[in-house]
Amino acid sequence: MFKYSFKRLLQSIGTLFIVITIVFLLMRLMPEEGYFGDGFEKLDEAQREAILANMGLRDPIHIQLKNFYKQIISGDLGTSIIYRPKVPVAEVLKTKVPYSVKFGLAAMAISLFCGISLGIIMALGKNKFWDKMGTGYIVFINAVPAAVYYLFLQLYVTDIFKLPILFNPSKPASWILPVVSMSLGSTASYAMWMRRYMVDELNKDYVKLARAKGLKNKSIMVKHVLRNAFVPMVQYLPSSLLYTIAGSIYIESLYSIPGMGGLLVDAIQRQDNPLVQSLVLIYSSIGIVGLFLGDILMASIDPRIKLEKKGGAR
Amino acid sequence: MTDKQVILSVKDLVVKFRLRGKVLTAIREASLDLYEGESLAIVGESGSGKSVFTKTFMGLLDGNGWIDSGSIIYNGEDLAKYRKEEDWIKIRGKEFAMVFQEPMTSLNPLRTIGSQVKEAVELHQGVKGEEAKKIVIEILQDVGINEPERRYSQYPHEFSGGMRQRVVIAIAVACKPKILICDEPTTALDVTIQAQILSLLKNLKKKYNLTTIYITHDLGVVANVADRIAVMYAGDIVEIGKCEEVFYNGQHPYTWALLSSLPQLGVKGEPLYSIKGTPPNLFSNIKGDAFAPRNEKALKIDFVEKPPYFTVSPTHKAKTWLLDPRAPKVDPPESIQILRKQWRESNYE
Repeated sequence: MFKYSFKRLLQSIGTLFIVITIVFLLMRLMPEEGYFGDGFEKLDEAQREAILANMGLRDPIHIQLKNFYKQIISGDLGTSIIYRPKVPVAEVLKTKVPYSVKFGLAAMAISLFCGISLGIIMALGKNKFWDKMGTGYIVFINAVPAAVYYLFLQLYVTDIFKLPILFNPSKPASWILPVVSMSLGSTASYAMWMRRYMVDELNKDYVKLARAKGLKNKSIMVKHVLRNAFVPMVQYLPSSLLYTIAGSIYIESLYSIPGMGGLLVDAIQRQDNPLVQSLVLIYSSIGIVGLFLGDILMASIDPRIKLEKKGGAR
Repeated sequence: MTDKQVILSVKDLVVKFRLRGKVLTAIREASLDLYEGESLAIVGESGSGKSVFTKTFMGLLDGNGWIDSGSIIYNGEDLAKYRKEEDWIKIRGKEFAMVFQEPMTSLNPLRTIGSQVKEAVELHQGVKGEEAKKIVIEILQDVGINEPERRYSQYPHEFSGGMRQRVVIAIAVACKPKILICDEPTTALDVTIQAQILSLLKNLKKKYNLTTIYITHDLGVVANVADRIAVMYAGDIVEIGKCEEVFYNGQHPYTWALLSSLPQLGVKGEPLYSIKGTPPNLFSNIKGDAFAPRNEKALKIDFVEKPPYFTVSPTHKAKTWLLDPRAPKVDPPESIQILRKQWRESNYE
C-alpha cells in the first residue's frame, strides 16, 4: 500500500511537471499585449521591449522555463496585471475561493446524498416505477442543455417560491437556487453510476453464494453489494470535491456569485497573461491531485489494486 | 438402499419461468427421492434443468421463475409452498448448502477469505468472534488449505482457482448442512485439480455426514463419486438407478445416447458418436417422450403419450415405452451392448 502510494505520487509529480511545461509554452504563444495592461497603446516599440526584457521575457526560452519552475516551486503564482493591477494572484483568489468552496460543497453533499440514494432505489427496484422515474430524470438532465433548466429555475421558481433572483450574502434564502441548480447534474450522474454498479454487483456469482449461505437480503446488500458498488464510485470523489473549488462558471455568473467560476473567462477576455497562466496551472493541478487521491482511496479499499501489471486474474 | 431413510422427496415438480413475455417450463413433473447419506449424481446435457431442479430446493430460482405445482417434502414440510424469503432463510445453509461451479467469481473480491467463511459459521453454528475464527481455521484445514492462519486474512485474488473452490466448499461445510448440492463443482478446474476436489468432497461427506447431490455433465465425475445416478432430459428425470445399473444396464434411449457419446466407449475406427438434433424447445408444449424426436428408433407411442416409470429392479427405473411388455424389442447401440456384456462377465467372476 505504501509502495503503491509512493509510486503513484511520483507519477503525479511527473505529470504535474509536464503540465507546468505545457502551460508555460502555451502562454508564450499568447499575444504579448497581455503583459502591458491598459498602457499598451501609449508605449512605443522600444519601451515595450524594455518592459518585456525587464520581465525576463526576452531571455532564451530554457532560462525562462527555469525561472518559471523556480517561481512555481517557491509558491509564487505571479501578479495580476489588468484584472486587479499589481495584486498577487494568490490575493485575487483569496476572496473568490471561499464562495466557490461553500457553494460547491453544499451542492456536492446534496448531490451525493440524493444521487446515491436514488441509484440504490433504482437498482433495487430495477424496471419498476422508481427506476423508470429515475431514468426519466437522468435522460432529461443529459439531453436538455443545462442552461435551459438553469434559466427555467431562475425565472419561474424564484417567482413561485418568492426566492431572491440574485445571490446576496446577507440573505440565506438566496443560497437555495444556486445550490439546487448545481446539484441537479451531478445527482443524475451519481444516480446513474450507482445504479449501474449496483446492478453489476447484484448479478455477480458471489451474491448467489451469499444467498445460498443463508444470509438475509438486507445483510447481503449492506455487507457485500453496497460496499463493492462504492469502490468504482469512490475513485471520482476527490476530483469532484476539488472541482468544487474551481466553481461553476455558468451558475456563478447567472446568480452573480463572486466565486472562482468566472475568473478564468474574465482573465482570458481581458488578456491578463500572468493570471491566466496561474489559473490554468491551478486547474490542472487540481485535476492531477484529484486523480491521485482517488487512486489512493480506491487502493485503500480494494485489495486487488497493485501498480505492477501482473497478468493474473482479477 | 431401501433400508435408508428418505430425507428429501420431490413429487411431480413443475417449475416455470417467464421469459420475454412467454412462459417456459424448465422442470416438467420431475420426481426424486433422496436417501439419507447417499451420493446422487444428476447428469444431463446443458439446459436439461439440472441446476434449476436443485436450486428450487433452496428457493434460489431467479426472480422470473416459480414453482408451478408439485411438492418438495423435507422434514415433513412442503418447501414448494414457501413463497416468502423468510421461509427460505430457515432452509438455506442450515439444511441445504451449495457449491457453485465458478470458483473464480463465487467469492466477494473485497473481503478476506476468513471473513466470508466466518459469516457462514456465525450464521449457522451460533458462535461469534474469536471462537468462530477458530472453527473457520479448522474448516480451512479440513478443506486442504495450508497455513490456514495466514490464509485467513488473505483476499480471493491471492488464491488459485482450485484453492478458491476449496474455500467455496469450506463455506458450504461451515453452514453444517444436511444436504450438500455441488453444482458442477469441477467444471471450471483443470483435470489434476478436479481429482483433488472430488476426493476432498468425498472425504468431507464422510467426516460431516452429508448427503450429497452432484450436478454434472461429466460422466467421469459420476463414476468417481456417485452411488446413484439420475439422468435428466428436458426437465424430467428419465432414468434413475444405482451407478452400475445406469452405466451398464441403461434402459432409456437417452441414457444410451449419452453413454455412447463418451469417447472411451467409441468403437475403434468409427467416428465419435454425437446425439443428433437439439434439445426440445421448452417454450412449447412437449407431448409424449421428450427425447423421441432425436431418437432414431422411437416408437409411435413415444410421440403421443408420456411414458410412466417402468421398474427395472427395486432400485432402478426408467421412463421409456421400451420397457412396456407390449413394446417391440429394440436393441441398444453397439457400444451399449459391449458395456452390458462386460458387466455380465464381471458379475460372473
